[in-house]
Amino acid sequence: MTRETLEVDVLIVGGGPAGLSAAIRLAQLQQQEGGDPLSIAVLEKARDAGAHMLSGAVLDPSTLRDLIPDFAERGAPLAAPVERDRVYFLAQSSSYRLPIIPPPLRNHGNYIISLNAFVRWLAGQAEGQGIDFFGGFAGQTVLTDGGRVIGVRTGDRGIDKYGQPKPTFEPGVDITAKVTIFCDGVRGNLTKELLRTFQLARGRQPEQFALGIKELWDVPAGRLEPGTVIHSLGYPLRQDEFGGGFIYAMPEGRVSLGFVVGLDYKDPLLDPHMAFNRFKQHPLVARLLEGGQMVRYGAKALPEGGWNTVPQPYLDGALIAGDAGGFLNSMRLKGIHLAMRTGMLAAESAFEAIRAGDTSAASLARYQRKIDASPVRAELYPVRNVHQAFGYGLLAGLAFAGLAVLTRGRWVEDVVHGEPGHERMQTLTGYYGTRLTALTPSNQTAVDRRLTFDKVTGVHYSGAAHDEDQPSHLLVHTDVCSAICGPEYGHPCTRFCPANVYEIVREPAGPRLQINASNCVHCKTCDIMDPYAVITWVPPEGGGGPQYNGM
Amino acid sequence: MKIAVCIKQVPAREWQPRLRDDKAWIREQDVSYEMNEPDAYALEESLRLREKHGGEVVVCSAGPTRVQQVLREALARGADRALHVEDESLSSADASVTAAAMAAAMADEKFDLVLTGLQSDDQGHGQTGVVLAERLGIPHSTIIMEVQIEGGALRVKRELEGGWFQWIAMPLPALLTIQSGINQLRYATLKGIMAAKKKEIRKVALPAGLQAGQQIVALSLPSRAKQTQIIGGSAAEAAKELVRRLREEARAL
Amino acid sequence: MILVIAEQRGGELNRATWEALVAAQQLAKRAGVSSMTVAIAGDAAAAAQELAAAGVGEVLTVAHPALVSYAPDGYVAALAQVIQLQSPRFVVLAHTYQARDFVPALATRLNAPLITDATAIAGAADAPTFMRPMFQGKLAAEVKPVGGGPCFVTFQIGAFRADQLQRGGGPSTITPIAVTIDASAIRQAPEEPFQEAARAVDLSQAARIVAVGRGIKSKEQLPVAEALAKALGAEIAASRPICDSGWLPMERQIGSSGQTVAPKLYVALGISGAIQHLVGMKGSRTIVAINKDADAPIFEVADYGIVGDLFEIVPAMVAELEKA
Repeated sequence: MTRETLEVDVLIVGGGPAGLSAAIRLAQLQQQEGGDPLSIAVLEKARDAGAHMLSGAVLDPSTLRDLIPDFAERGAPLAAPVERDRVYFLAQSSSYRLPIIPPPLRNHGNYIISLNAFVRWLAGQAEGQGIDFFGGFAGQTVLTDGGRVIGVRTGDRGIDKYGQPKPTFEPGVDITAKVTIFCDGVRGNLTKELLRTFQLARGRQPEQFALGIKELWDVPAGRLEPGTVIHSLGYPLRQDEFGGGFIYAMPEGRVSLGFVVGLDYKDPLLDPHMAFNRFKQHPLVARLLEGGQMVRYGAKALPEGGWNTVPQPYLDGALIAGDAGGFLNSMRLKGIHLAMRTGMLAAESAFEAIRAGDTSAASLARYQRKIDASPVRAELYPVRNVHQAFGYGLLAGLAFAGLAVLTRGRWVEDVVHGEPGHERMQTLTGYYGTRLTALTPSNQTAVDRRLTFDKVTGVHYSGAAHDEDQPSHLLVHTDVCSAICGPEYGHPCTRFCPANVYEIVREPAGPRLQINASNCVHCKTCDIMDPYAVITWVPPEGGGGPQYNGM
Repeated sequence: MKIAVCIKQVPAREWQPRLRDDKAWIREQDVSYEMNEPDAYALEESLRLREKHGGEVVVCSAGPTRVQQVLREALARGADRALHVEDESLSSADASVTAAAMAAAMADEKFDLVLTGLQSDDQGHGQTGVVLAERLGIPHSTIIMEVQIEGGALRVKRELEGGWFQWIAMPLPALLTIQSGINQLRYATLKGIMAAKKKEIRKVALPAGLQAGQQIVALSLPSRAKQTQIIGGSAAEAAKELVRRLREEARAL
Repeated sequence: MILVIAEQRGGELNRATWEALVAAQQLAKRAGVSSMTVAIAGDAAAAAQELAAAGVGEVLTVAHPALVSYAPDGYVAALAQVIQLQSPRFVVLAHTYQARDFVPALATRLNAPLITDATAIAGAADAPTFMRPMFQGKLAAEVKPVGGGPCFVTFQIGAFRADQLQRGGGPSTITPIAVTIDASAIRQAPEEPFQEAARAVDLSQAARIVAVGRGIKSKEQLPVAEALAKALGAEIAASRPICDSGWLPMERQIGSSGQTVAPKLYVALGISGAIQHLVGMKGSRTIVAINKDADAPIFEVADYGIVGDLFEIVPAMVAELEKA
């Protein structure tokens, strides 16, 4: 078998906001500074730019303004400027509107966008600058030479479900680069490999994640003024559970709504998708959606840990940017502008290092210095303890959030929340004692197929599609699953997965875990939340996955 | 051999329909597009024929600016160059206009063989290929499962209904509409994608005054008027009643 | 006048022609057209007799040595002459593979509009319109023909019911029409048709389908469904979980990751009706659902539903079917 190879100056893995901002910035620097032209390639697992992008989304345009000052003339798809913010505290059937919007949730000057449309546009901008955008190619493994990252191997294509090559078999390509910028998103499979191999998270607090589930709706005219941003706290989550809802109104009756659940809940029977359905059933939300039509569904994990969980983002031959590095402000619920900013800074660092002829870790450490001097640190450092504080419950978290704003985060000591979220999940007996009779979700709610849907229907609306004849891209240690995780936790994967990938099929021979891999919407929750960490998400054949049009 | 392959860009498979306010066409703003799947098989067949017989593959499309995406994709998979009849009005053009536009652009090229997909996944007229052949004045055959070329003669296997097939011989130049599944599609390679950027896309203006054969009055979501009749009673009674209704009412037996 | 072009192979009338006749009768009613003529090309005396016996209108036989085996060039040349002679307002056919092969060329040669795959007739008497699927059935389009000449329409197979044909009082006359065809201008040289074992099960061609879902419980219970399929003369198919479990091969899967079908009869046994399954079968003419769960979404698309235990109902159905 001959493996194709490709040599570039800068390889960017992941065509999201971070990766594309890096690509555009590199092209700009090249134009400004001249010199030998750099070859720049962007790898993206989705076939089309933006297809795997999912976010709320409210965009803080500060980075966009710096990257593409004439973004308006260039037709950046910003659906609506934010006109008004509302924050509600929900109880089961009532709601309390906060009289004052907490400063972090004030969105004046921001835009409601479809991240899918925005990234599609960004990719067009990058390609207009001569960048090679390779859609449908997933980075499978990191290529190293000694302690140095030298590039990425893309996944083989045309392998059947038994692992045998099909007639169309096309081996993965080895792409080598002077600098590889990893922008493979939240829980990126390659960044995960880097963190482990190079121990980049040493001395940092454990990463923290949440799962966001979102739908796009068309609702009757006049329901919600375009530019309205609504956030909610409280119901259907309980005191010690982190998360909340969002509703963003775009023009022409299009509404983006979703629910975020911290992936550090204790109840093994909690189902985040059920929480989302309960949120939609709340009178405040149900009223808005009544008579409307759900048009898209999707889910994605988000890095919530903040500044103290960001790994060392540079090493020999490589940088990490965007969600992959955890650059997200969970208190403002915003990460796009930070992803773009870190992408830009990574580009500048890579450019300077290549021009200096030294792309070692020592040289690329300039990236850390740039981050420290940038709005990224200015924004993330003060709120570095907020998510961790939510581990102590909603009220403590809110108090901390308020304190963070008042004091700009000048605490003497950081809150130490020393365990990864999945370790906080309790066993069935630990959480329920002996009361338990059935393994149904603790927050079970009915599905009416108008307002609320089951996960399988959601998957249909996510547009998720994979070549069916390929090996499962979810590697599960099935012994642990059936012998330990099942009895102790009652197979929580069947609940935390928002796409019904994991299913326990009852058969005469006993229950069996069935993996519906082609349902996967690439949210990464299973890789994060499994209590025994026995699920590993690897990229399926390039091009497979959701199709998040308009999300 | 000089082979033309005609491709169309259509909304991606998982697209959820959304109509324009006048209902006469879809809302195009939020659609993501892809190569019409039947055309992908035609493209693959043209590449295989070129590998066997040498020559050139020219990928042709009539549509708005956005169709460059699928032209590039075809070039990345191996087509040598592209022909693009470009006009915004072509996004909702019917088969008559599309075929006439293509014929005008292709006439000078004197192709030996023209391949198209069976039909498009958007309007689905299933006419464009045959109309194009008529306009180019070349013979055609449709729903082709196999293509043989020997010494300038063409022999093709055409699918009939119900598991029947037929071999048909005809002289070149000719046009064939290719049945989906005739071959296995290759993947685009990185090198192919990079090479595609340097290949030529020749743009051709839409000739004026092309006559459409039909006009869309309105699009709608298909409605289902029927009421479900629940049949009760014991298992035996319900089964008996169901069989009776299938025989007498639905005439489905 | 409406001209219906009948289809035959080896002298045997294609059954879809009867549906085209029904569609033509309904079009005649809608458009206020009083007369109908049927043309049949090739060596088809018996088929012409069969058509004439229905008494729906004069039957024109178009025989010529060049039309003995079908080739699009020959059909276009011959039928163009017939149409020019008859000047019909509409030319109606069934949307068969053969119609797809020559009608677009014929309409183009006559500079006439062609609407394919129509499922219904709408619009006003002076300007009938046609319903046809677009975007793979995701949308229905109402289209109106534009331009002069006769309007060609091909009707989707199964859209009209052959048994609704209004037969005439007596047999119609059969009139041979002479056409001139330059045999050397027919460029396609067809060989004898042959049948080939289908490489994969093509469920889209099945008239009846019995599909099983999780309600069948185990592979060992499949014979229950197979017995019903046998009694109905149906193909067996399944929803995704059954094929995922390997109880039936993947090629029998119906739905978004399997085949899309629209048979005359679709019997869903123990299928809840996930949207992924529904998109693959909701176009079926008659849908029967048998399921324990009265709330199963399959009942929303079914014509007939029985809420109950399929292991009791299905054998009773088989017994009932075998009685007759």
